[in-house]
Amino acid sequence: MLKRNFFPSAGLVLSLLLILFPAPVAAAATTDLAPQPVAASAAHGANDLQDDVWEEESWEEEWQAQESLADPLEPLNRVFFQFNDKLYYWFLKPVARVYDLFIPEDLQTSVRLFFDNLESPARAVNCLLQGRVRDSSVEVARFLLNSTIGVAGFGDAARDVAGLRSSQEDLGQTLAHYGAGGGFFIMWPFLGPSNLRDSIGRVGDSYMHPYTFLDLEREVTIGARVFERVNYTSLTLGDYELFTETALDPYTAVKDAYQQYRNGQIQNR
Amino acid sequence: MGKFLQGKILTVILGATVLSLVAGVGSLPAAGGGPLEQLQQSMDEVLGILQDEELKSPERKEERRKRVILVVNEMFDFREMARSSLGQSWNSLSPAEQEKFVGLFTSLVEERYIGKIDSYTDQKVVYTKELVKGDRAMIYTSIVDKDLDIPIVYRLQKENGRWLAVDLKIENVSLVVNYRRDFDVIMRKEKFAGLVEKISSQLEKTQTSN
Repeated sequence: MLKRNFFPSAGLVLSLLLILFPAPVAAAATTDLAPQPVAASAAHGANDLQDDVWEEESWEEEWQAQESLADPLEPLNRVFFQFNDKLYYWFLKPVARVYDLFIPEDLQTSVRLFFDNLESPARAVNCLLQGRVRDSSVEVARFLLNSTIGVAGFGDAARDVAGLRSSQEDLGQTLAHYGAGGGFFIMWPFLGPSNLRDSIGRVGDSYMHPYTFLDLEREVTIGARVFERVNYTSLTLGDYELFTETALDPYTAVKDAYQQYRNGQIQNR
Repeated sequence: MGKFLQGKILTVILGATVLSLVAGVGSLPAAGGGPLEQLQQSMDEVLGILQDEELKSPERKEERRKRVILVVNEMFDFREMARSSLGQSWNSLSPAEQEKFVGLFTSLVEERYIGKIDSYTDQKVVYTKELVKGDRAMIYTSIVDKDLDIPIVYRLQKENGRWLAVDLKIENVSLVVNYRRDFDVIMRKEKFAGLVEKISSQLEKTQTSN
């Protein structure tokens, strides 16, 4: 129900933002080099890298953090943060630990790839919306390859065989591409950190998800999402604890990490 | 949008923890070595410790960790990181308070970034770009771990002829910036005394839970 109300506004926001200037990131004058795997000992590769010179300002700018995201809902967000924290310790973690006992890690990785593959259609559309035709076709090719020879997405044949890498685009990034700021921070119960722009994006993206094409029952979709989450938690057991226990105010640390992470995704094409 | 962002972010920050520091860890630089060479050399040293079969036994766990930390301390300028994580407030501290804070900050960072050292398996490190300008440098790396490819950028400064890392970004999340925002909340409400108390109590918690 919520989705139906949200979707038109996503379209509206997008069209409004189309007229706003895109904010290209000042690129440093650098030379990208072919990635070179380095094992423990080898020191090769270093000589191929060049020292580059670029504008004085871009140096600091590139590293500087952006302004902290507005958080008018902080009291409520903190309540949901606590809720999610309890959800993790009381439900997700115990379930994931049991799951982890029975499911080998390789299979868990395959499951993660399977769910990741389902995001491809939305990524393809978002690349297109950002005018990135080539990246869009890569997403389409990835989806086709991984859904077939990748055994229904349980492997990443597109990457391993064809060298096709996902651009990891989503509607939140597309909106940002057309100038939308994050708006304000939102901590959703169950779903975790987000902001206004990315929440709208998330709803929009859900319309491009196979669950929606296949018109799955709501219960089935939720079940699949929970399973995906359990699998993911199993692969990352301990990370949440480590991060929150080494933060003084975990809420603030998560909020900032979310913002920095998303800004990075938006800037890195 | 990524599926489970909270989890994703945490992976982002922590999934790579071992190698993040690993890739930035260092020892004495080769004479005349650039930032990349120094970084690589350091990383090799830590990888060597992590891959050492003899050190993998449970009873040598603590020794292994200590050896890694030793190398990390050689490579990172923790004092500079502590200073910049505190922002303006740093200048209002007495030298003794600054020293105390550097110690606490170092322990906190070690907990967060070396905490997952035992989960190191066979991740590979890839160098993608090196930027050098005067006494500053940025090294772009990436950790390849099964289905994941985690970008890590190191920011280095040259001090007394040696390149030292002063920050790192894992999937664009800067260690120093994240702590600055975190500390800022505490500093505003509880001042330096509150900050010290909070870090100390967090360290006690993590050290007992490990």
